[in-house]
Order: sequence, then C-alpha cells, then structure tokens
Amino acid sequence: MHATLLLVEDDPRIRRALGLALNDLGFTVVEAQSGEAALERLNEIAVDVVLLDLMLPGIDGLTVCELLRSRGDLPIIVVSARTDTADVIAGLEAGADDFVTKPLVASELGARIRALLRRRRPGSEASTDAPRRLGHLEVSIADGTVRRSGDEVHLTRTEFRLLAELVSADGRPVTRELLLQRVWGYDYFGDTRLLDVHMRRLRRKVEADPDAPELLITVRGVGYRVNVDAAD
Amino acid sequence: MALTFGVTSLLISAVLGVVTIRLASTYMLDQRKESAGLQATVNAQLLSGALRSGSDGVEALLDGFAGDPGSAVLLGAPGRWLTGGRPVEAGALPKDMVAAAMGGSPGRLLITINGATALLVAVPVEVGTTVFLQLFPLSEFNRIYRFLTIVLASGVLAAGLVGVAVGRWASRRALRPLAQFTAAAGRVAAGDLHARLPDQADPDLRQIGETFNATAAALEQRVARDTRFAGDVSHELRSPLTTMANAIELLRHRKDQLPPTAVQAVDLLDDEVHRFQQMVLDLLEISSSEQPVDEGAWELVDLAVLVSNVATSAGVTLPSIGTPCPSIFGDRRRLQRIVVNLIDNARLHGGGVTGILVTGQNGHARLEIHDAGPGVPDEFKPQIFDRFARGGLAGARLDSGTGLGLALVAQHVRTHHGKTWVEDRPGGGATFVVELPAGRR
Repeated sequence: MHATLLLVEDDPRIRRALGLALNDLGFTVVEAQSGEAALERLNEIAVDVVLLDLMLPGIDGLTVCELLRSRGDLPIIVVSARTDTADVIAGLEAGADDFVTKPLVASELGARIRALLRRRRPGSEASTDAPRRLGHLEVSIADGTVRRSGDEVHLTRTEFRLLAELVSADGRPVTRELLLQRVWGYDYFGDTRLLDVHMRRLRRKVEADPDAPELLITVRGVGYRVNVDAAD
Repeated sequence: MALTFGVTSLLISAVLGVVTIRLASTYMLDQRKESAGLQATVNAQLLSGALRSGSDGVEALLDGFAGDPGSAVLLGAPGRWLTGGRPVEAGALPKDMVAAAMGGSPGRLLITINGATALLVAVPVEVGTTVFLQLFPLSEFNRIYRFLTIVLASGVLAAGLVGVAVGRWASRRALRPLAQFTAAAGRVAAGDLHARLPDQADPDLRQIGETFNATAAALEQRVARDTRFAGDVSHELRSPLTTMANAIELLRHRKDQLPPTAVQAVDLLDDEVHRFQQMVLDLLEISSSEQPVDEGAWELVDLAVLVSNVATSAGVTLPSIGTPCPSIFGDRRRLQRIVVNLIDNARLHGGGVTGILVTGQNGHARLEIHDAGPGVPDEFKPQIFDRFARGGLAGARLDSGTGLGLALVAQHVRTHHGKTWVEDRPGGGATFVVELPAGRR
C-alpha cells in the first residue's frame, strides 16, 4: 500500500531514523520540524496521513491537530512522548484518529497507518444494504454517508467506521475489544481510551443531547450498542 | 493500668470496710456485755433475796428472767441446777467459769451452744454454794453484724468496679496521643506516607508530633522525588531509544546485505534495545503507578473474560474457570498488565504456563498461574516481587526479562487492594496467586 506521510517531529535524530525506517517499509515520507513547517508542506503537497508529535516548538501539536481537523478528514496519528491519560485524551479530543507513544518502531507505526488507510469510507466494502434508520439518523454504509434529519453529518473515517460497526450489529452489544480490533486493527490490548474518546466525539455529532445519549448506548462492563427503537 | 487502679481502690475500700466492721462489732459487743452483766447482777440479787426469804417465787422468777426466746437461766451448783427458759445441758457449761463464780468472782464469756454464739454471765449468789448463770442470745447482734457486713462488702465491690472504670478512662485519655502516634507510625511503616499526627494540645507532645510530621513529610517528599527522577530519566530515554530502535529496524530489514558477523551484531543490538525499551516502559509504568490512583476512571471488569482474552492473545491454552468469579472494580489496563506479566514470567523463568485458573471465593476473585519451572526457593519467596530481584539463579541475567515484571504485578495488585504471592506446587513448579476483592460498584 503506497502512501505519502507527513512526519512532524522536532528531534532531528528521531526524524531521520523514523523517516529512513518508514521509507524502508515503502512509505514516502515528507518531513517537517515544526507545526508551521507542517502547515506549509500541506499546502504544497497532498499527503495521506499526518504523523504528529504533540510537543513541538512554536504552534504545539494539539493546535495543529485541531486546525487540520477543522479543515477536513485528513487522517492524523498523534505521536506522544507521554502516556499520561490527560495528554492522550487531549490529542484524541483534538481530532486525532489514533495515537502511539514513544519509544515506537516504524513497523508498529506502519501497521497503524495501514489500518487507518483501510478505513476507507465509500465503496470499500461491497455493501449493497439499504440505508438504515436510527432515530433521526440515516446511516448509509454503502455510500459512507450519515444524515441527521436530512442534513449530512460530517464524520471522520474513524468515526464513520465506529458508527458502521455498531449499526451493523443491529442493537446487539459490541464489545470494546471487538470495536478496537475492527475499527483500529488492534489486537486485544488496544487502549480503550481511544474508543471512549471517539465515542464521545461521535455522540457530539449525532446525539441530540450527548450527555444523555439515546442512539449510542453504553453497555457497562461490555461495550456499546445502538438503540434500534430510538424515536425519530 | 486500669486494673491497677481497680485493685488499689478495692484494697483501700476493703481495709476501711474491715476496720469499720471490727470497730463496730467490738463496740456493740462491749455494750451488750455491759448491759448483760448489769442485768444478770440485778437478777442474781433478786434471786438471792427470794432464796433468803425462802419463798416459792424462785422458779417463777427464773421463768420470768428467761423471757426472751433463746435465753436461759440456771441457779444452783454443779449437779443440782434449777433451770428456766431454753434447756441447756449442764455439761456444756464452762467448768472453770462456774468454779470461779462458786469461789465468788463473777464472769462473762462468749460460748457456742447448739451452734449459736451466746453470752454467758455467771454471778455468785452465795459464795461456795449457789451461783446464777444467765445465757443471753446474740441473734439480734448477729443480724446487725451480717447486715453491716453485706453493706460494706457491696461498697467495697462497687469501689473496685468504679476504680477499674475510672482507671480505664484515665489511662485511655492519658495514652491517646501515644496510640495515635503508634497508629501513624504503623501506617508510615506500611507505606502510607500521607499519614500524619493531629495537632497535640500538650506542649511536650506537640514537639514530638511536629517532629514526627516533619519526618514523614520529608520522607514523602524524598520518595516522590525519587519516583519523579526515575520517571524523568525514563522519559528522557525515550527519544534516543526511538532513534536506536528505528535505526536497528532498518538494519534488520537489510540483513541480507550485511556480512554474517555484522548480522550477529545487529541481532544482539536488536535484542538488547528491545529489552532496554521494555525496561524504560516498565520503569515509566512503575513511577506513574506510584502517583495517586484515579479510581474515577475505574470500571467493573469480569476477570474471567479478561484473563481468557489475554491468554488467548498470548497463545496460552484457555484458562479453566472454577466457581463463578465475581467482577472486579478496577483499571482494565492494569489488570491486563498483571495477567500479561504473570504469563511472561512463567514463560521466561518457569518453563512455560501449565495452567491458568480463575475462581471466586469469600468475596474475592482469585487468579492462579501454574508453571513447569523449578519453583521458587522458600528463602527467595518474600523478595520475588521486588524490583530487579533475580532470584540469584545462575545465568538469570542472561534472560530477556526486565526485572520489573513481577514488581509491576505486585504494585498493580496493591493498587486494587488485593494480594499476590507465590506457592509451591505439589509435584514441582510454582503457582503465582493473585487475590482481588470483588467490585462494589
């Protein structure tokens, strides 16, 4: 799978080593040493995935992440030097699709990138299913679109995959482990914070009241399910 | 302390009580003797007059004198007694006293007749021929004496009990600061470095309390600084490690272009960097686990399902689930880490996992991991959960463990208010046991 990556990292040695190793795995790597440089590069060339270090001189990683997310659905993987919950959650809240922590190796990162690129939206699976109704939502897995009372809702590909997995289960609970595996391609040890933050973001976009969800229900100790009986 | 108080108060009141009884009874008895003596002398004079006049009234007088129940009178001389009132055997009379009275000297004596104490008074009526003996019962006196004894004994007992109570109260009060001190020191020793003594009112105690609190605070700071240092160092190591790991990965992919010796060197480097990386991650996890735990992010976890998932993804035979296992309230990631590390430990040091058992009993969930290794020598059992404890086994340093796996297990189990230990298995091998309290929420 060929893809162009934008590697935003201020440590020159890490940038070199990671760039070389990713290149070795078959990716085209464009490097940027700061947030400003990253935004400039993005104006010049088209990239498929952004690898974003959170601790950057100048504009910090979180701001870059938010900025990119406000522009569109460009896949972002946050590279964090910290595993503190607050840091990871901040990165995910800012719109990142996935996160990895240092020390990381290119092969591990490569697996994350491929999983993210596989999460294509329309037509990636030969689904001919009719659009499904879920309360005031209309989810068309085949087209990769979600309408809320007729208006299209803009979801990132990760948010869409998550919603599609839940809708496909027809109201049966889907375990966290399964969601992490199906959406992010993680084995059993995926970080459930990843899932929880994405769920929060998804709810903000589709629920009338994200704090009292009526469509996407938490099943305690298990995972999530959709409420197929939700009122329109 | 309380007992000493009680015993002392009991002794004092007992002595006072005995002295009181002694004084009271002696006084009462003296009074009784005095009046009995007077009465007997008057009676003897009346009888003497009656005898002299030769009237027949003697027997009537005798009956009259012995009017009180239990009293008796005798007139005459040994061998020829005239009696009145209660019958008294002549043989029971004290011969010395009768003889003395015959000789002219009156006497008084306490004697026991028919099982009861009585006062016998002897008065000479006619020297050499006739004496008068009167027996006064002491039943009235005995009743008063008994009553007094009961009252005083109850008083003594009450004083003793009150003494114990007062003693206990006083000692509690006096020792309360010491008890607080012991409790706080115990908590610090057990690892709770937040333990402090409350402010003391007593100036002497205040100083001890302040010193103790200052020591505990210094210790807490010191431990926090050490932890932070370990965390900072590990954190700083992440960047060079990332560079190294990726450079080596690149080399590994190009193995076919390298001469064989260089391939060996790359393999060695690869192994070591991998271990180094794991060690840094473990150190970071240990130092972050020493921070206060945020139980707000905890959830109910089904241990049987979690263990089964971890075992499956580690490629271990499915665990057997025993009695239904209660859910645990805890941090899923840490719980996974416990299971992963125990499985890794069995693989690295125990010759592989031979069985995993999840059971529930007495409000606890219990996880057992059995291995096929040589077991853990008894003298090493207490330290096996320490950091970098290698068991002193020859060659143990050559394995690929980080030396932190079981320390992390112990730490995470502690965070979940559980216990972990290692047991020998009949027939060889070790069993690592983790017991976690069932979740309440």
